[in-house]
Amino acid sequence: MRIFFIILICITSKVIAQKKAPVSLSGTAGITYEGYGLNRNPTGFTGYQPRRPYNQVRFNFNPIIKAGKNFNLPININFAALPTNFAGPYTGIKKPTFGQFITNPSNSFGLNPTYKWAELQLGTQYLKYSDLSTGDIAIFGAGFVLKPGDFRIKFFTGKSQQGIDYAPTPLPAVQGAFKRTHYMFSIGKEKEGNYLVAFNFAKGKDDIASVATPPLTILPQESFAVSMQVNKFFKKGFYITTEIADAIFTKNENDAASVTIKSFKPFIEAKNSTVQDAAAQISLGKKSKDLDVGLTAKYIGAGFQVTGYPYLQPDKFDYTVNTRFNAFKKSTNVVASIGQRVNNISNTTTKAKQFIGNLNWFTQVNDKFSFNINFNNFGFNSNGSTTLGIPSIKNVSTDAGFTPTYTWVNTSMSNTISLNYNYSNYKETYILAGVPTTQLNNTHTALLSYIPVYFNKTLSPDFSALYFYNTATAVKIMFTTLSAGLAMPVAKNKIKLRGQLQYTLGKLSGFSADNNFIASANVDYAINKKLTWANYLTTNYYKYGNQLGNPFIGANYLESTLRTGLQVKF
Amino acid sequence: MKKLLIISSFLAIACTCCAQLTINLVLNTKPPAIISQWASTAGTVTLIVNNQQAPRRAKIKVTITTVSGDAVATTDLTSATIFLFNDGNTILNTTSVFPFELQRFVGKYQNTINKTGALPADNYMFCVELIDPNSAGAVAAKQCRNFIVANTQLPVLMMPYNEQLLDQRKANTAIIFRWTPLTPAQQSSINYRLQVFEILPGQQPMQALRANQPIVDRVITNTTQFIWQPQGILHAYAVSDTTTDSTNSSVQITDKMKSNKIFPSNSQKISKYIWTIQTTNSQGVPYNQTDGSGEGRSEPKIFIVQ
Repeated sequence: MRIFFIILICITSKVIAQKKAPVSLSGTAGITYEGYGLNRNPTGFTGYQPRRPYNQVRFNFNPIIKAGKNFNLPININFAALPTNFAGPYTGIKKPTFGQFITNPSNSFGLNPTYKWAELQLGTQYLKYSDLSTGDIAIFGAGFVLKPGDFRIKFFTGKSQQGIDYAPTPLPAVQGAFKRTHYMFSIGKEKEGNYLVAFNFAKGKDDIASVATPPLTILPQESFAVSMQVNKFFKKGFYITTEIADAIFTKNENDAASVTIKSFKPFIEAKNSTVQDAAAQISLGKKSKDLDVGLTAKYIGAGFQVTGYPYLQPDKFDYTVNTRFNAFKKSTNVVASIGQRVNNISNTTTKAKQFIGNLNWFTQVNDKFSFNINFNNFGFNSNGSTTLGIPSIKNVSTDAGFTPTYTWVNTSMSNTISLNYNYSNYKETYILAGVPTTQLNNTHTALLSYIPVYFNKTLSPDFSALYFYNTATAVKIMFTTLSAGLAMPVAKNKIKLRGQLQYTLGKLSGFSADNNFIASANVDYAINKKLTWANYLTTNYYKYGNQLGNPFIGANYLESTLRTGLQVKF
Repeated sequence: MKKLLIISSFLAIACTCCAQLTINLVLNTKPPAIISQWASTAGTVTLIVNNQQAPRRAKIKVTITTVSGDAVATTDLTSATIFLFNDGNTILNTTSVFPFELQRFVGKYQNTINKTGALPADNYMFCVELIDPNSAGAVAAKQCRNFIVANTQLPVLMMPYNEQLLDQRKANTAIIFRWTPLTPAQQSSINYRLQVFEILPGQQPMQALRANQPIVDRVITNTTQFIWQPQGILHAYAVSDTTTDSTNSSVQITDKMKSNKIFPSNSQKISKYIWTIQTTNSQGVPYNQTDGSGEGRSEPKIFIVQ
């Protein structure tokens, strides 16, 4: 911590020394209220669940203080009045302690005073030193970034989650979590747009004693990772970026110390559940105005895990070749990629392969006519094992779409009409003892849209009609949607209005039709140059046919959302 | 044939009498793939030792082989605990029978465990013997049971693919979600819990996933596709494409995203979403609890509605 104070004193003294330097304050601040209502009929019908918190208030305060040419102090304060966590360590939490409130992912309290090449990082920070080391979650703590010349030195430590006791009642259950502390350090050299060489170190450790009632299914973990990055950008758009990493990960800190697995003290002590594995990624290619070509490959070993990337899926190798180019005097734009992904490469079970291919082709034929073609395909193949009694799986998903668009113009308006047709096929096959079981799923979607633009009016309407038809084994789903929107400014452009109406007729197999009516409106009022008042209101009425059976034939619900907020710029 | 049976029975009885102890091994035929988890998983190994005579001391020796006979692991008897078996039945659990730290794995299996924590997928044989601590001779007939290891791999999210741009006019009616199945395929039901979170202005994608109430929270059983009707919930927090700077949004609209959209336009507003699948068994217990978050959630993907 001493080093933080030394840097802070240096920065402060430099700022004070600049007596003539002007101090400026700019930024934004705001408050937003969200209200939600759900009314379900008949009584006892619970087939539709709330999708937003009934009441929520969010605050944001993001000023930037500037003193002289070299000192900046951006402040980032965003928080919500009520916790609404449904995934991750804070799942189900209702009455957080102060520490839990501060570190809840809902909230951010950060400031980053910067003087020339020195930056302090205080409070909530999202620090991604690299793809294979530190992580993508918020950490509340303190650290710094120093960039003297080409050198790069970074350090940060803090908590990503507090200890949270498991509590099964009242519902929803509190999942519980162990307090997790992170340490990260990076040293390297960088010249932006030219090269980067860096070594990254990241450690995360759960505190077993941080909870009185441990989580039921979550285990206390610990990890230590080291990575090396080498990036080089050449002339004419050629580039190569690489990272290799090695991680030691303990799946359960409660396990006994291992006598067979090597520790890496003082950073991590091996337990019976400790694993060590490597990861690497490389990306190379060429970028230019009219042509991009690239190759990306990524390998994540089966035992490669770090606490900062809690959702990273290990045990895979994937590679993709992608391209983008413009042709025919830029009237044609093509984006395409093709690749393969292999899961379970560690041979701990049968390998699973996926083929992935995407194509998007856009051509502006002339001033009036253009078309777009898109094609996506992925195949999944897991061989299974007869001796282990594991069926093989073969899934293929294919999507293809065609969108012609025609525009014509007269003296008062332009008109754009487009038709999109998309075909989607999904085939799932399980083969057990040589006997295949296949499920076919086909979807046809057609969208017709019309957008007139008036040259002498401020009205902006749009209209569309959509037909969606899905067939699967013994199930057919059909939707027909009509929608219309209208946007217009009023009160000398101080108020922007937008309204949208949508009606959908839905049909499931042989049941009678469902009806869905949606209306939404935006009203954005610029009270003055600095203060705006934004409002959004939507209501959704859904009435089932007879698919739910008695006593819920004709069940319905009315769902409403209101969002209103004031935002000031200063 | 009868003579053979009589002789065999006689030999078996004689052997048992010499050994003094009898054992009954109960083994979960599909134990957790992560071998260090065996001790914390109830019912993985249960050993019942019956002693009809005077109290007897013995060590427990475990050997694991593949069904084809290749050696996998054996207990280090020099450090093994000496148990005292009194008259009657003694019931021992996994911690006593198979202390992980005392098992010595053959080179290639040790390497795999060091990397993955699991044995390679295969059909194995688990054998238990009781060994006299002084003479090193067997004091009970060896018992063996077969077990299978098949490490599961969580689904991979396929559609919408990462950073895919969806046309709002189509997305407002229906969005199709697809993912790969849990592998290897299970004989029991698998629940896929689909969750979609809106990324609010100013939020990081992972922040939205861990902080917001999901706008979709549905459990789909045994199927790897779901057709969702958004019913007006999309676009509530849409921000202008041209204003998606760091203060408004953490997701930048890249060239790749723009080139994938069907109706190119710079004036439309966008809203961003992050989705994931939580995979559980029919009792709601997540798969792969020893990996990553421990929640059985697949690596999330982002999609954008414009």
